[in-house]
Amino acid sequence: MKLELLKGSRSRVLAGCLLAVAALFVVRLFYIQIIQHDYYQQLADSEQIKRLTIPAQRGMIYALNGNQPVPLVMNETVYTLFADPATVKDVQGIINTVESVAGGNARSNLDKLLTTPNSRYQILATKLTTAQAEAIKKKGLAGIGFQQESQRVYPEGSLAAQTLGFVDADGNGEYGIEQGMDSALKGKDGMLQSVTDIASVPLTIGSRNVKKPAQNGENVVLTIDRNIQSYVEDALSRQLQKIGAPDGSVIVMNPQNGQVMAMANYPSYDPSTFNTVTDASLFNNNVISLPYEPGSDIKTFTMATGVDTGVVNAQSTYNNTGVINVDGIDIHNAPGDTQFGNITLQTAMNWSLNTGYVTVAERLGGAGQDINLKARQTMYDYFYNRFRLGQLTGIQLAGELPGIIIPPSDPDGNAVRYSNMAFGQGLDVTMLQVASGFSSLVNGGKYYKPSIVAGSVDDYGNYHAAKPTTPTTYIKSSTADQIREMTHVARSSVFPGIDKSGYYMGGKTGTSQAIVNGKYSDTDTIATYLGYGGSQAETKYVIMVRVSGPKFGGSGAAAAMPVFTDISNWLVRYLNIPPQE
Amino acid sequence: MSYQPTTYYNNRRQQNWSRNQNTARFSSAVKLGPVAHTVLVVLMVTVLGLIYLTQATRTTSYDYQSQAIESQIADLSTQKSDLEVENARLTSLNNVKNSNVAKAMTTPSNVQYVQQ
Repeated sequence: MKLELLKGSRSRVLAGCLLAVAALFVVRLFYIQIIQHDYYQQLADSEQIKRLTIPAQRGMIYALNGNQPVPLVMNETVYTLFADPATVKDVQGIINTVESVAGGNARSNLDKLLTTPNSRYQILATKLTTAQAEAIKKKGLAGIGFQQESQRVYPEGSLAAQTLGFVDADGNGEYGIEQGMDSALKGKDGMLQSVTDIASVPLTIGSRNVKKPAQNGENVVLTIDRNIQSYVEDALSRQLQKIGAPDGSVIVMNPQNGQVMAMANYPSYDPSTFNTVTDASLFNNNVISLPYEPGSDIKTFTMATGVDTGVVNAQSTYNNTGVINVDGIDIHNAPGDTQFGNITLQTAMNWSLNTGYVTVAERLGGAGQDINLKARQTMYDYFYNRFRLGQLTGIQLAGELPGIIIPPSDPDGNAVRYSNMAFGQGLDVTMLQVASGFSSLVNGGKYYKPSIVAGSVDDYGNYHAAKPTTPTTYIKSSTADQIREMTHVARSSVFPGIDKSGYYMGGKTGTSQAIVNGKYSDTDTIATYLGYGGSQAETKYVIMVRVSGPKFGGSGAAAAMPVFTDISNWLVRYLNIPPQE
Repeated sequence: MSYQPTTYYNNRRQQNWSRNQNTARFSSAVKLGPVAHTVLVVLMVTVLGLIYLTQATRTTSYDYQSQAIESQIADLSTQKSDLEVENARLTSLNNVKNSNVAKAMTTPSNVQYVQQ
């Protein structure tokens, strides 16, 4: 009996022990699987689920070739070759292969890099093409690998470099359209969240896989015509080298829609090697980033103000004595003035006489010979509000500066300043502002906001032109017609025979004193020429040229006008403008 | 030998046979006990499990095929981009200007315009 009880007791004890152990397992499993579920789920997910970024491709940038887009900036896949010195077996084999295939893209000290102790990553070559990378891969060398990346390439070299800008090492656009439209060009990276195997191959098992495709950046088509841009760059470069001028810019616009056809700066740089540029000022697009005193080009705006308000016309006369006094300050004409006596404002335009346009400013105020508050307010209204000088134009490029026009309400906006403004001193404007405002003087009085974007190219390569901009009439068409005629007479009478016959061209020279160390310099000048061309019925283009720089003392007629003439005479042929009898 | 039908579930229609209706009933001689039933159920579960595993594995194998195709697409896209870049370089203004065709061109001495 006792034995049976004992037997029964051992069995029960054993059963109890097993039950206790089983209960322990159950409790432990309950703790792990239920209470600590989230923790272990997170651990498992971190091992099994990977989040991969699907990089968006940066949009390409096109110019126009006539009406067809041609690429200026593209993306190219390049490879960085790296080595893990700890797993490299054939050092000499790698050196021979890399040097023979990668050439100049290989690092010079491969031997040292491949034998670096305690290192698991050494870059052997950069920017390898796909063909070079494939050639190295075929050798089957142990201990090396490739990292794929995308870089910007420029099939047209340095063409329109300052307009384009570049992309820095972090993938951000810098300067030009690259920065101005950075967010549109960048696109949006996609995301892939998936269970992966040990080789990081995404698997469709699991319920938390997410795939968000990348949105590639917009392919932007510029209004720049590559043929005009190329010719303009060559013409500017030729002239500056010929006269020894250090710095210059040109803008060519279509006055009928405000689109920029070319925008050139000299000296320039190659955006594919922007990291080797030592003078960062080369990155600036001086057409939009360099406010300056435009000089006599502004006389066309002063005359337009006078004509539009009805106080003067081209045949209005004044007595030119070569000097005019404003608030005790004598303002002289430029040296060489021979047109003394009672002369017309057309003559004053032809010979760029400062006194004529100070007279116009005086007449804006009424009958008195004073640039009073009314005259200054009228000038400010036309210059700032109608011709949009001294403010940002809103062009889609980075780095645009507004310049400044002092309003009459400012203590500095006095009669002396406004008398200077009448012939282009005492105000800071950019070439883009002047060319855009001048376009409204030669297109019938319509101001178009300047634009550099013509449209876009979709993923299938189809070009979609942007909607045309709406003009705003700022001055009477009769005023614009008169200014157009005056500048035509000014060009053809003073510089006869320089234009191709059968075309209608006009323009105005500008030579302003540069400010050096806070004072007007007697030796440094900013030479400009502002003009247009086309048929008598319609102006087809506006060209503005600036030549300047330290120790440069040339005039608008001698330094800048030849560039205009060169471009203009080529452009009438390129644009297929038929000559008229 | 008396007739002894196998006990099966009879639906309602069968339970309501009409008089004199010409009917026949089949009775299997094979009889399955509880062990056989259990073995059969286990076998069926095993087969179903194997089918599930086969399908699940096949899905994963599609993932590898899909990955291989995507990789191929990426390679072809890279090749396409490289060719586009090469095409752009070959048709760039500098190449056109320096081509033999361009060098052989001359400036026209006279240009006439025809109006339509």
